[in-house]
Amino acid sequence: MPDSDWDEMLAAATGEVLETMFFTGIYGAAPVGESSAGPHTAARLSFEGTPSGVLTLSVAAPAARALATNFLASEDDEPLTDAQLGSVVCELANMICGALLSRVKSEQHFRLSSPDVLLPESGPYPSGPPSQSLDLGDGAMEIWLELEPHAH
Amino acid sequence: MAFRVLIVDDSTVMRAFIRRTIMLSGMEGAEFLEACDGREALDLLRAEWVDVVLTDINMPSMDGEQLVRSLEADGMLKSVPVVIVSTDGTENRMQQMLSLGARGYVKKPFLPETLREELERVLGGAYAR
Repeated sequence: MPDSDWDEMLAAATGEVLETMFFTGIYGAAPVGESSAGPHTAARLSFEGTPSGVLTLSVAAPAARALATNFLASEDDEPLTDAQLGSVVCELANMICGALLSRVKSEQHFRLSSPDVLLPESGPYPSGPPSQSLDLGDGAMEIWLELEPHAH
Repeated sequence: MAFRVLIVDDSTVMRAFIRRTIMLSGMEGAEFLEACDGREALDLLRAEWVDVVLTDINMPSMDGEQLVRSLEADGMLKSVPVVIVSTDGTENRMQQMLSLGARGYVKKPFLPETLREELERVLGGAYAR
């Protein structure tokens, strides 16, 4: 499958998750690198199947806070903890990955790992450009989708 | 009519989201129990009356598939309806879980009305619209 098809499916999956569960949408493209230029929350999970791969997500702090506020229906003046922000970004990564793989025609089950918040000791972000760099209104979100070579 | 829902998910924020979705759905009388995996869910089910179980699949210790298999093999708990709420929306996964004994399947992301309709269908009776 060409990379452009994956990018298209990833964009559709991301839009569906944001609109359905986070009550927001994609405002357009964001400059590459913007999500992690300042404070941000990132998460990563892997999946096994045909294909196998890794999905990494980075969300700028204001955007992560807005997503978590919508998801948890918390009041604007109610402070969200870093743990809550991390859990919400993990759940976002989990749902985007699931929605993406649901679009793949495969006879196999996919097995998703539990998403983890990316800490400095978790290792570097993927070296290549993100598959999606999106403006969420309150900040940028970037998604890296790395597929095992046989998927191409 | 009161009914008790057991929400099984290793994500505390997802359990909170599901709880709030049901509370705002217009279904009155919902009471909630929560478990972080299948093992904790089984312990709760053996101690508490539950009308319906909403469970994720991908969880540590005991996953949703193992939970459904365990309930099906338990004469006392076999009748408790289970609805899967999972990010895995592949057709073959859905069919597999339904054939194992799950009564319903809600794919994440989901609209609030989708969850409500599935609960009404599974609970039946006063909730059938």
